Amino acid sequence: MKKRGLISVAAAAALAVSSLVGFAPASHAKAKRITLAFQGPLTGEEASVGQDELAGMLYAIKLFNAKNKGKYKVKVVQADDQGDPAQSAKVAPGIASNKKIIGLVGAAYSGATIAALPYYKQRNLAMVSPSATRVSITDAAAGNIGFPVFHRVVPTDKVQGPALFKLATKGVSSPKVYIVDDQSAYGVGLVDYMKPTIPAGQGAGFDSVSDKTTDWSATIAKVKTAGANVVIYTGYFPQAAPFFKQLRDSGYTGILAGGDGVLSPTFVTLAPASVLEGVRLTAGTVPLAEIDAKLEADFAKKMGKASGVYAAESIDATNVFLSCIAKGVSTRDAMLKCVKAYSGKSLTGTTIKFNQFGDVAGGVMNGFEVKNGVIKFTGAVK
Amino acid sequence: MIGNFLDQFWSLTFGGLSLGFIYILIALGYTMVYGVLRMINFANSEIFMVGTFATIIIIKDVFQFTQTSEYATGFRLWLILGTALISSMLVSGILSMLVEMVAYRRLRRMNSGVLAPLISAIGVSMVLSESVRILTDSRPVASPRAMEKKFLGQFFDAGIRIDNTIIVISALVLFGILITFVNKTRMGKAIRAVSMNPNAARLMGINIDGVISATFLVGGLMTGAAGFFYTLKYENTSAFIGFELGIAAFTAAILGGIGNIKGAFYGGLALGLLETYASFFLGTQWKAVTVFVVLVLVLYTRPNGLFGEALTQTRA
Repeated sequence: MKKRGLISVAAAAALAVSSLVGFAPASHAKAKRITLAFQGPLTGEEASVGQDELAGMLYAIKLFNAKNKGKYKVKVVQADDQGDPAQSAKVAPGIASNKKIIGLVGAAYSGATIAALPYYKQRNLAMVSPSATRVSITDAAAGNIGFPVFHRVVPTDKVQGPALFKLATKGVSSPKVYIVDDQSAYGVGLVDYMKPTIPAGQGAGFDSVSDKTTDWSATIAKVKTAGANVVIYTGYFPQAAPFFKQLRDSGYTGILAGGDGVLSPTFVTLAPASVLEGVRLTAGTVPLAEIDAKLEADFAKKMGKASGVYAAESIDATNVFLSCIAKGVSTRDAMLKCVKAYSGKSLTGTTIKFNQFGDVAGGVMNGFEVKNGVIKFTGAVK
Repeated sequence: MIGNFLDQFWSLTFGGLSLGFIYILIALGYTMVYGVLRMINFANSEIFMVGTFATIIIIKDVFQFTQTSEYATGFRLWLILGTALISSMLVSGILSMLVEMVAYRRLRRMNSGVLAPLISAIGVSMVLSESVRILTDSRPVASPRAMEKKFLGQFFDAGIRIDNTIIVISALVLFGILITFVNKTRMGKAIRAVSMNPNAARLMGINIDGVISATFLVGGLMTGAAGFFYTLKYENTSAFIGFELGIAAFTAAILGGIGNIKGAFYGGLALGLLETYASFFLGTQWKAVTVFVVLVLVLYTRPNGLFGEALTQTRA
């Protein structure tokens, strides 16, 4: 207990220092200073996800600050949760008690979101997540764990599960689908939402495999025994790549598919391009370049790197806060009220308006395919 | 289920065998050291992990392979594989010797008992895995593929893949060399002497520190070879890989009888096959449970493992 207390004090101190640093150089003396926070994995195995989302947020803020020069200056405090609930519970108290922060983009991951929620709820800090897709966060039946502070601009796994099945079996004349989850809340949940939509005779079997697995031969034998021609993996890319690789090497020639946990630029570096050719993926994100090539070019110029996964959603999430700031909001209570009443357009032109639990209505799942070692956007899953 | 199992029997068996041979080589690292020092070298798992990285560095940085490269063939392929194998063995072997010098030697000289080297071993293990974790930014790392994974032929319904074949044959050769080394050479004899009775060995003029260094070197060489074979078969590694494989190989060593070279061999094979069959029958999530239930049952009847505890029992 003592150790934990110490760590959160240290985290709070670190945050206090970082926000002080943020405030020290006053280039625009009259500008009103506002602080937002970002929470996601900035280091560790999943760092690329958080870094890409953070870049999206910073891009939106850069545009906003330039447009409102002399009027507003928005700063970002970064909270690194490594995508890990335990780490999230350590950084969240510091963010929650830093009163200068009036809104939080994140957390990137659902598990980390749930771990941080008690702190943010207690201090009334509004959250808009670009990528936390777990259904239970906004599910009244699960006890309203995100209410009232949590909001998100992505559709949930309730939408993703069936879409993933649909995409994986697209164009296959008599699909026999074998589904493997990674025993995580995300992976198991995705399968649960997929199951009711599987047509009779198309399910070939299920396996549930620890995310520490290195040898997949038993699962591969089961896939072969079942005579599957479509294999769906609901887990994350560090395990998906070896699994797909070993499956292909065993002589499997059918379709491979995965959800947004697999959609990472690192995924394609983990196996030969020929092995991953044709892997199908779903995610609630749209690449910036698909929305507008000019937007992507501007992003790359301003941020010094190409946009990544969930960049558009991070910009959308940040814009919710920025539009409230432009209306003069400068406290947490006002921010939460403003986010709840928000109605605006996303980058793709859909309406962002949160329901009472924090979800956006509708929501589109998009398809991706690996071609020549690069993940390509293939359009909405219909 | 049984019918399905028979259909898949040979492909499961081949997979289990090549995994088993990787376990054997790592288990040798544990067993050699235990035979001589009666101490579990927990750092051996990280010595394996460093070996996998050595292989990747050779393939990726020295031979400049990427995930989109053409596969190597003929002489160039064997040159690459040979270089990677020898480099991994040397890196792991030397690291293993260094670990002994830095972490264990002084403790041993001061007659520290059994607990201090144990915690020192765990400490070294953490230092190594955390250092690699920081260097790799906690990311998984993949080895680009240098060799096409083609099938050499069919055995019943199972394809015989080239990498599994290379692993089984080379591991057998390495194991044969090790047995010959321990049984036929002067140093091997000295190792056995120290294992039997260190004090008597010292009185006979054997340089104990030299023998212990040699034991760590040989154990490290075998573990490094396992790192190469692992990377050849699975092509992925990370800073955390040592723990999983280390625990498995340690289990194999105990199953066969720790300190006993022959025990490591049969223990490794048994574990590789058991894990693979159990995952198929009961589901992959039951793999670890099955393995440890079997281990406990074996230890109930044979508390020193299948072949008993002692390096000396390997006499030909």
